Amino acid sequence: MSSVTVGIIGIGFLVFIFLLGMPVGFAMAFVGFAGFCYLVTPEAGLSLLARDVFSSLSSHSLTVIPMFIFMGSIAFASGMSRRLYNAGYTIFGQMRGGLAMATIAACAGFAAMCGSTNATAAAMGRVSLPEMKRYNYDDSLATGSVAAAGSLGILIPPSTIFIVYGILTGESIGKLFVAGVLPGILLAILFIIVVSLLCLRNPSIAPRGAPTSWREKLAGLTGVIEMLVLFILVVGGLFLGWFSPTQAGGAGAAGALLIGLSRRQLNWKGFLFAVKDALRITCMVMVIVTGAIVFGHFIAISKIPLVLADWVGGLPLPSAAIMGLIVLMYLIGGCFMDALALITLTIPIIFPLVLTMGFDPIWFGVIIVLVTEMGVITPPVGVNVYVIKGIAKDVPLETIFKGIFPFLGALIVAVGILMAFPQIATFLPSLTTY
Amino acid sequence: MLNSLEKFANSLSNWLNWVAGAGLVAMLGLVVADIIGIKLFSWPIPGGIEIVAFLGVVVTGFAIAYTQVLREHIKVEFVVMRLPQRAQSVIAAFVTLLGLVLFVLLAWQSVEYGLSLAAKGTVSMTRGIPFYPFVHAIAFCCVPICLLLLVEFFRSVMKAVKG
Repeated sequence: MSSVTVGIIGIGFLVFIFLLGMPVGFAMAFVGFAGFCYLVTPEAGLSLLARDVFSSLSSHSLTVIPMFIFMGSIAFASGMSRRLYNAGYTIFGQMRGGLAMATIAACAGFAAMCGSTNATAAAMGRVSLPEMKRYNYDDSLATGSVAAAGSLGILIPPSTIFIVYGILTGESIGKLFVAGVLPGILLAILFIIVVSLLCLRNPSIAPRGAPTSWREKLAGLTGVIEMLVLFILVVGGLFLGWFSPTQAGGAGAAGALLIGLSRRQLNWKGFLFAVKDALRITCMVMVIVTGAIVFGHFIAISKIPLVLADWVGGLPLPSAAIMGLIVLMYLIGGCFMDALALITLTIPIIFPLVLTMGFDPIWFGVIIVLVTEMGVITPPVGVNVYVIKGIAKDVPLETIFKGIFPFLGALIVAVGILMAFPQIATFLPSLTTY
Repeated sequence: MLNSLEKFANSLSNWLNWVAGAGLVAMLGLVVADIIGIKLFSWPIPGGIEIVAFLGVVVTGFAIAYTQVLREHIKVEFVVMRLPQRAQSVIAAFVTLLGLVLFVLLAWQSVEYGLSLAAKGTVSMTRGIPFYPFVHAIAFCCVPICLLLLVEFFRSVMKAVKG
């Protein structure tokens, strides 16, 4: 059997055990080492397993993951999500759909401190959903807006997906972070436009909130200022080359800790919650990344990426059409698989092809994040939707999915804009000093 | 028997999770101290990067079992959920067995790999910290997860047999 055939059988078996419910990281490590055993020798495969696991867990470049996750957990435990929502409310609250807009703005703000979609959706959902219920918002709009805006967590830096993409491809995490800023703002604006359009069509779905005084507006701004301070420290530090990614995450976590302590919002119990929360998410991510590294070694010796790149390169299609097909593949894959799992599984295979076709790898990273954002809100495996369902227990799942669709449209528009104007993603990274 | 084994594995996982927590806090402290050292005093902590990297083993390795206790390792559930209960139990037994094989092999190979590093005297470049205790730590962290998977395997088999 040729190595490519073994590789294809390996991928097929992997998808099979994914669907049987084996944890994604375990499944990738299992198939990776088993395939390596078959293609090289059993001794080499077994040795690869232990070496890859140790080198992945003890890799300094991967310590960026716990640091940024810890930052998000401390920011949540320090009540920053509530303060951001309050700030958004004072600005947008009196408009029709204002609470949903405030939620989107607050999600964008929280995404500047947190790198995960479900953590952003959970943090903002806990704060904003009870408020929208109190003002008789339509359930679909309320839940759909939080689930969709939560997905900004991986586009606006810091972002777990950018970190993992950077590690798997060798691209600069700092450049990827900076590349996500403008598309993140663009997408947040598109989401807000969607809310306005929905309210124009049917004003009863989103009544106006209570008016707020100037004093309240000014007080609300402190929530924005602390977020901006952290964001400038972390992303500015990366942008100017002051910090390595791990240092930026550490500075952000320490900054969030200081803000929480100085505002007397973070007590010992809250800190322990943040530690446990960060450990849980770190472990989830690291197990998948480690599994992907083992699997990536198997895929590399199977020569599938080379053969695929050759084959696609020989197709009589323009590269834009091929990119369209890749995006479609991610879109469909994202419906059925977790975002991180999909990226770690496919990047070792697809990335060489993207480079061969001459696409900018940083731009491609942003596109991948946008497409996986769709994946986290589309049925049947829309993680954010399940997170929101966990908070809004009385809202049927179908109602949340129904609320998602207009926002999905905004995401598709954003991908189109990024395809037509790649500079939106590549301009800021081109200014970085390293 | 299964209950007491599970209780022991849960309690061990919980303790290891606290070790991981201490590792995370230490990692943050070290990264921040390194930044302050570099930016303010032009004096990075000697071997700071190495220690942070080794703490990475503590943070993830020691938290893996507890994450399994919480059932938080990401998996695709929507297909299996639609199947009858008995089929779900058979499938759970199968995938748990695969996981068990993986972690038993990882534990064994990590012991072997650690021994080979110890024999060669492999140490980190700046501080001369030996690698092997961290590789053996990974093997040790596999113990509670293997116990948890073993309990889950037997439970799934029993469910599948009883229907």
